[in-house]
Amino acid sequence: MKRHLTVEDLARDGRFVRVNMEDRMNDPRNVGGPGAYGRDAAEQAGEGGRAGRVGLGRMVPDAPNAPDAARSLMHGIFVGEIQALEGAGRTCYDFDLGDGADQVPYALKLDMARQCWDEARHCEISVKLTEWMGTEIGEFTESPFLFQAACNPDALLRLAGVNRALEGLAIDVFNTMRDFGDKAGDPVLEFCEDWMLADEVTHVKMGSDWMRKLTVNDPERRARALEFQSVVDKLFSLGGGRSDDEDSPIRLARRFRQMAGFTDSEIDEIAEVSRQARNEAEDRVAARRAAMAAAAGSSPPAS
Amino acid sequence: MPDPKKPRPPFSPWDRRELPGSFTVEETARRVGNYKWVEMRLFEALGGWVATVPELDVKMRLGTHCYKHAWHSELWHKRLPELREMNPDRLTLPPNDAMVEFMEALTAPEGEDKTLEKLVGVYRVLIPHKIAAYTYHLNNTSTITDAPTIRSLNFALGDEFEDWRDGEMLIQSMIENDEDVRRAADRQAELESIMVRAGGITGPGSIGTEEVPNTVEANA
Ligand SMILES: [Fe+2]
Ligand SMILES: [Fe+2]
Repeated sequence: MKRHLTVEDLARDGRFVRVNMEDRMNDPRNVGGPGAYGRDAAEQAGEGGRAGRVGLGRMVPDAPNAPDAARSLMHGIFVGEIQALEGAGRTCYDFDLGDGADQVPYALKLDMARQCWDEARHCEISVKLTEWMGTEIGEFTESPFLFQAACNPDALLRLAGVNRALEGLAIDVFNTMRDFGDKAGDPVLEFCEDWMLADEVTHVKMGSDWMRKLTVNDPERRARALEFQSVVDKLFSLGGGRSDDEDSPIRLARRFRQMAGFTDSEIDEIAEVSRQARNEAEDRVAARRAAMAAAAGSSPPAS
Repeated sequence: MPDPKKPRPPFSPWDRRELPGSFTVEETARRVGNYKWVEMRLFEALGGWVATVPELDVKMRLGTHCYKHAWHSELWHKRLPELREMNPDRLTLPPNDAMVEFMEALTAPEGEDKTLEKLVGVYRVLIPHKIAAYTYHLNNTSTITDAPTIRSLNFALGDEFEDWRDGEMLIQSMIENDEDVRRAADRQAELESIMVRAGGITGPGSIGTEEVPNTVEANA
């Protein structure tokens, strides 16, 4: 078996529909897109949302599209769990043991094997949850972004991109979904998210610990890893949907991130990246609306 | 209330453990080093295969089993220094070249149409040989002096039996016609032949037969 796969090598059965990240982000059903799930009626009518803000809002159970929003997010979590499993598995296999940049310590492989088991359970949990929520496998698309980050030839960069950035995001998402389950009166969802959240904190902490251990005498490698992490963080800032705000779609889970080895300034930086992305997203929405209004004004009246 | 000063035998009447065992400290360390080598190659391969199998249930099982073998390797890694400060890295070795060849052949299938070959190699050849070698060790080591190895063997064997059953049932569920039967049998024969030359996961004597077993070539 060869080492170092690409996303094209990922094996899936016939139900899965793969799309690239751009297509997924442009899917109007996604959070942040026009007519996105989970917005309240005012937002969907384009008249400004909660707190008078046009744009992104928290997923709330009484929003008209909340069930679909939750199902879409859950399916996204499910395929993310599969890729997390695959990525951790590849890190067990792709490297020789050693201290070189293209090698990994034995204990790191043991951590990755442990993560394999955890992610396999998360797949089991999330596939049952998707069924519980009335979704079929393949009803929503799969973007292989997580596995892409797990293809980096430097194992430390894999940990920075996957464990620190994307699983850090998973902490925020699971925390948000757990609260959603609580508010929606869905104890099964709340229970499952709480358990997965516990494991993700461990995975993020693995990333933080290995970042420290592997770069103790190698500041350049550390800088490269942090840069990669920040690129991934920026890429997945979800159009600014992640912040400290009570009503943001994905709330930054500060306490759990601290448990997982993030410093306060690192969490502040993620919030800042997200704030910038939010401003950009709101500018885009405003521009789109202006263009639609202009187009409507110039079109001939319907007969 | 029983008299706390009343003398009792050092071994309770139901405790039948005995001192003699078949293995010296050095031989135990050699076997344990072989075990660690095999468990490592196995958990790495299972982890690597996860991305290459399209069947969702197999994917999740391989991910689960990957960790169990990693944990076994860690049990053996920790046992080695206890055997007279044996260096774990120096002793983490295959028993011979044939065992290296076996693991290379085992891990060779890669494509998404090769799940059956992957599963047969692990669950119909390697794991049965691990169960055999672990059982031989368990039944022949000193139940008093080597209790820590016995404890680890029991942990590992518990997992091996469970995983063997999981894997065998996956295989049975994937064999649908005569062609599949042949594929599974051919794959098993191919790997079993190499394992015979290796003499088992710790080399000749893995299950107590001291002589090097006849090779397939010698029998032909
Ligand atoms: Fe997970
Ligand atoms: Fe995870």
